Amino acid sequence: MFEPFVDVVPSFFGWLNQGPLTLTIFLHTVIVLPMFWIYKQEKARLEQEG
Amino acid sequence: MAKKSVWSDNRFWQRSAGWVTGFASMLLIWLTFDTIPQIMLGSDEDLQQGVTKRVPGPTVINYKITYEMDTKRGHEIPVIGGANAEGRSSFQEKETFFGRDDWSEEEAAGLLHLGKLGSQTKNCMNCHTLLGNGAYYAPDLTKAWLDPAWGPNGPMQAMTGKNTKEEAMAEFLQFPSQYPTHARMMPNLGITPEEAKGLVAFLKHMSSIDTNGFPRNFGKIEGAVHGK
Repeated sequence: MFEPFVDVVPSFFGWLNQGPLTLTIFLHTVIVLPMFWIYKQEKARLEQEG
Repeated sequence: MAKKSVWSDNRFWQRSAGWVTGFASMLLIWLTFDTIPQIMLGSDEDLQQGVTKRVPGPTVINYKITYEMDTKRGHEIPVIGGANAEGRSSFQEKETFFGRDDWSEEEAAGLLHLGKLGSQTKNCMNCHTLLGNGAYYAPDLTKAWLDPAWGPNGPMQAMTGKNTKEEAMAEFLQFPSQYPTHARMMPNLGITPEEAKGLVAFLKHMSSIDTNGFPRNFGKIEGAVHGK
């Protein structure tokens, strides 16, 4: 999964995209995880209001 | 009263949509700036100091360019001026381009500019593909300079009666309908000798650009660069 970086110009996305699915998994993680947090906040708010 | 579900709550969806849209916008802005150093044109100084750039400077036309398999990256890369021990560009071996291997940065940039304008006025992309843009009615030109058909063992130099790759290409570009190479023949576009020179320089420079192995199957053509 982690191999030496061989791209021509170093770049964070180049580093992230070096293995199969690494970029996809990273992006889904950072997009979906905060949605759990939003979900919990909204649930707490609804319970308080109810 | 029935318990209200978060899934049917408007605010949850609004905040989620806001987060996803906002994050994606920031990511696209970041990617835009991340791309700039990747596509920045190198200079003559880079070539002389052996600095590998994805897009080398215009004076790359003074160097020998080959296309070699990079096992680590899993595709061919343009190797400028011969390979070093690691199989990367060593920037040592020069090659004459129209009889000279000392084109200055200004001269080379002028030739490339002429070639770029020529490729736009003659609308090469209407049939050919350049760096992923264009059509596939005619052969992909991204790595055309490295096509062995134009090399010393290919048919094009004999067909055009020229002794070098660049002269054969320039001759073909000026009188394409005289040299049947393809079932779909290229029409005469009224390309002048000077424009042809610029176009060949443009093609040579384009072939030196590291395109992450694009076009993907170029080196796999039977008998071609890294033919299998």
